[in-house]
Amino acid sequence: MNADGTIVARKLCKSFGRHQVLRDIDLTVKAGEISCIIGPSGSGKSTLLRCVNGLETVDRGVLKVNGEDFGYVEKDDAYHAVRPKRLAEQRARIGMVFQQFNLFPNMTAESNVMSGPVLVHKKDRAASRERAQELLARVGLEGCGHKYPAQLSGGQQQRVAIARALAMDPTIMLFDEPTSALDPERVGEVLSVMRDLAGNGMTMLLVTHEMGFAREVADEILFMDEGIAVERGDAREVLANPREKRTKAFLERVL
Amino acid sequence: MDVIDTTMTRSRPVPLLLPEDKKRITPKRPRDYVAWAVAIAIVAGLVWTAVTNENYHWPVVFSYFTTETILEGLLVTLFLTAASMTLGTLLGLVLAVMRMSPQRPVSGLAQLYIAFFRGTPVLVQLIFWFNIAALYPHLSIGIPFTGVSTPVDVNAIMTPMTAAVVGLTLNQAAYMSEIIRGGFASVSRGQHEAAESLGMSGFTKLRHVIIPQTMPAVIPATGNQVIGMLKETSLVSVLGVADLLQSAQAIYARNYQTIPLLIVASLWYLIMTLVLSVPQSMIERRFSRSTRTRLTPAATSAGPGTGPGAGAGQAVPTTRESLL
Repeated sequence: MNADGTIVARKLCKSFGRHQVLRDIDLTVKAGEISCIIGPSGSGKSTLLRCVNGLETVDRGVLKVNGEDFGYVEKDDAYHAVRPKRLAEQRARIGMVFQQFNLFPNMTAESNVMSGPVLVHKKDRAASRERAQELLARVGLEGCGHKYPAQLSGGQQQRVAIARALAMDPTIMLFDEPTSALDPERVGEVLSVMRDLAGNGMTMLLVTHEMGFAREVADEILFMDEGIAVERGDAREVLANPREKRTKAFLERVL
Repeated sequence: MDVIDTTMTRSRPVPLLLPEDKKRITPKRPRDYVAWAVAIAIVAGLVWTAVTNENYHWPVVFSYFTTETILEGLLVTLFLTAASMTLGTLLGLVLAVMRMSPQRPVSGLAQLYIAFFRGTPVLVQLIFWFNIAALYPHLSIGIPFTGVSTPVDVNAIMTPMTAAVVGLTLNQAAYMSEIIRGGFASVSRGQHEAAESLGMSGFTKLRHVIIPQTMPAVIPATGNQVIGMLKETSLVSVLGVADLLQSAQAIYARNYQTIPLLIVASLWYLIMTLVLSVPQSMIERRFSRSTRTRLTPAATSAGPGTGPGAGAGQAVPTTRESLL
C-alpha cells in the first residue's frame, strides 16, 4: 500500500537536557489530511513539527513519515540513525515553511525556488526556472522572480518560501507558525495560498495561532500543553466543544 | 532711537525672512579654526624638515626608486603576498569547517593548529621552517606500508623561498580560519535549517547557501589581512629572501645610504597598500549587494529575533535603485 503523505507518531519523547518537551505524543495524519497543532508557547508544538523533518531528533518512540521510519532504521536493539545522505533524501520529500521565512538572501526569489530542484535533484536549469515561474505565479507573485528577499514584504517572502518548498514536489507540507511574523494585513495573502494548497489535497501539518483558519480548513486538531497531547480530534468538534478543561481554558483565552 | 533703527535697515536692506523660512546653521566656533591651524602647522613642519634636512638625501631616494634590484624585490614581495594569502585562505577555510565539525577529534585538531600558530611569533616560525632539516633531515614521500617511496633531502627542498611561503601560509591559515569562522557565525541557524529541509547535503549547503552569506563579514577582514600580509612579508628578509626590504638592505650594505633606501622601501610598501585598498572596497561593495537592502524596514522582518512591529512589511522599491 502506498503510504505517501502520511505521518504516524507513537509515544514520541524528546528532552532538551533535563527539560522534557515531548511526552508520549501520538499523532496520525492521513494522506491529504490537514492537521493543526495548537497550544500555548513552550508546549512543544514546534518541536513536534521539527521532529517530523529531522530538524530535531527524537529520543524515543515511533515516527513514520511517508510510511517509513524517519531518520532511523529499526534494528533489534534500537533505532539506528541513518547516514546523512539518506536523511537528506527523506527530508527532500517533506516541505517546510518557517516562521521567519528563511529565504536565502543571496539568491533572487526565482533562484530560491529553483535551489531545491537544481542543487538537490540536479534537474535542468531552464526547466526548473520555468517551473519556478509557474509556482511563483501560483502563489500570486508573477513577475517578482528577479527580486531579492530583502526587496519583498514579509507576506511576499513567506509565499516565496511556500513556492520553494513546493518546488521539491513534497508529499507533506509542514508549516511552523507561518503567519506569526507577519503584519496583520499580510496574514490573509499567506493563508489564502495555504487554503489553495489544502483544497488541492496536500497533506499538511501546521502549528498555528490562526484559530479561524484552523476551523475553516483543518480536519484534525491536536491541542498540546507542557509536552503532552491533551486533546486530539475533529477540528470543528474540538474548537466548538472541547472535552478537556485545559483545552477549554486555552481556547477561551485565544478566541 | 526709532529713527536710528529705521535708517540702519534702510542702509543695509535685509530680505525679510519669516522665522519659519529661516535655515538652521551651526556657526563655526574658534576651536574649528584652531584645529585647522594646528594640523597645517604640523604638516608644514614635517615637509619643511624633510626638504631642508640634507640627511634625507632625496636625490639618492629618487635614483634608487626604480632600480632593477628594488623592482625585483617588489615582485618577490608581491608574489609572497599573493601565494601565502591564497594558500592561507584555502587552508583557513578547511580549518574553519573542521573547527565547526560536530566530531570532537576533528574540531580539536583544528583548535590545536590554531592555538599553536597564533600563539607563536611569525618570525620564529619562519626561522623554524628554514631550519626544519635539523629536525627531519630526510623525508620519504610514498605510500605507507608499501615499498613505493622516494627519499627527499629536506635541506635541498627548504630553500629560503619555500620556508618563507610555508611559514607565512601556515600562519595566515590560522588567522583566516578564525575570520571565516566568524563569517559562519554571522549566518543565522534558520539558513542552515532551510537548506537542510530542502534536502541539501552538507557540501551543497555550504557552497551555495552559507559561504556566499559569510562574504560580507569575511571580505573586509580578509582585505585587512592582505594588507597586513604585504607588510609581514618583510620578515622574510631574515631568511635572505630577496624581497623588497632585503633588496634595499643589500644596496645600503654596499653604499651605506641606509636612510634613503629605507625610504624607498617604505614608499613602495605605502604605494602598494594604497593600491590594494581600491579593489578591497570594490569587492566589498560587490558582495554586500544583496544584503545592503537588509537595512530597509521590509527586510528587518526577515531577520531573526524580529520583535513585534518590526516587520513593517512594505517593499521599498527605490532602495535598490538608489544603491546602484
